Amino acid sequence: MNLKLAIFKPLLKLGMERTGHGAALGFKLTKVNLGEVEMTLPCKPELVGNPVTGVIHGGVIVSLLDTCCGSAAITTLTRNSVTPTMDLRVDYMHPAEPNKPIYVSAKVYRDTSTVVFCRGRAWQDDAENPIAHCVATFMKVEAQSLSFPNVLRRSFKRFVLGKKDFKQAGDQ
Amino acid sequence: MIDQELQSALILARSTSSPQDIVDLIPYSRFIGAQAKVAESGILYWLDRRPSNIGNPTLPAIHGGVIGGFLELAASIELLYSSEVSGIPKVIDFSLDYLRPGRYKTIYASCTVLRQGKKLVNVAATAWQDDFSKPIATARCHFLLP
Repeated sequence: MNLKLAIFKPLLKLGMERTGHGAALGFKLTKVNLGEVEMTLPCKPELVGNPVTGVIHGGVIVSLLDTCCGSAAITTLTRNSVTPTMDLRVDYMHPAEPNKPIYVSAKVYRDTSTVVFCRGRAWQDDAENPIAHCVATFMKVEAQSLSFPNVLRRSFKRFVLGKKDFKQAGDQ
Repeated sequence: MIDQELQSALILARSTSSPQDIVDLIPYSRFIGAQAKVAESGILYWLDRRPSNIGNPTLPAIHGGVIGGFLELAASIELLYSSEVSGIPKVIDFSLDYLRPGRYKTIYASCTVLRQGKKLVNVAATAWQDDFSKPIATARCHFLLP
């Protein structure tokens, strides 16, 4: 693992796990490598999609796969850019079982100068028998606000000093 | 909740024209804050902004997964409300195209059932914010009927 990824890993973990929807879902990034990310989501009653069976809502799996593939795409960046999702397709292989954690992994399988192609899957008991497969593509868009010192500064403000910049921007 | 309770709740919601009652049956819709009402051109779904739906705090922008989850939820509510299905349909696949970033404000959505067969249903969903002609995302969803 190179030095940049070593510094970047905790920042990515903080950014994904402790802000906004990531914090609400409550997943953990368990593995961050170049072009490869894994996450775990503990079971939660508020994420249920079927009140009769107690099975988790497909939207949660969409969120997890989008986050996981997006994180994997970010790890491949070498310049100051962002990777907005272009499209995402999820195929549900079989329903999730209630009261079990969900594991998600994503891998970049093609990285070009403008587009990143990712594959991901979600499973519970058996990684070889996933509940969902997904493919996602991401754009590479350059953004100076995301230069490494700027990200470091913002992360420091947000997580160490506890400032929440989105509140000031959103609530006039 | 048992199956019969769900079925009678669905029948009641259809007869009183209140899709919101179906939305309230699903815990995940409370988690993201989805709402629905009957409008002139079908059912209008919306998602008010809330900090727990943020994906990128610096812009700020709504989490792409929330937009996906919201559209998948809207597509299933559309089906539960507009056709006589007896239980929550299974999703087979879900395909989502992001067209514009979701700004930190209310997202609206509407759905169209493109084809309903005996077993399979195809639903299209579109999400927009200020302007219907400028969608932020479109989705396509296949359901397997119970």
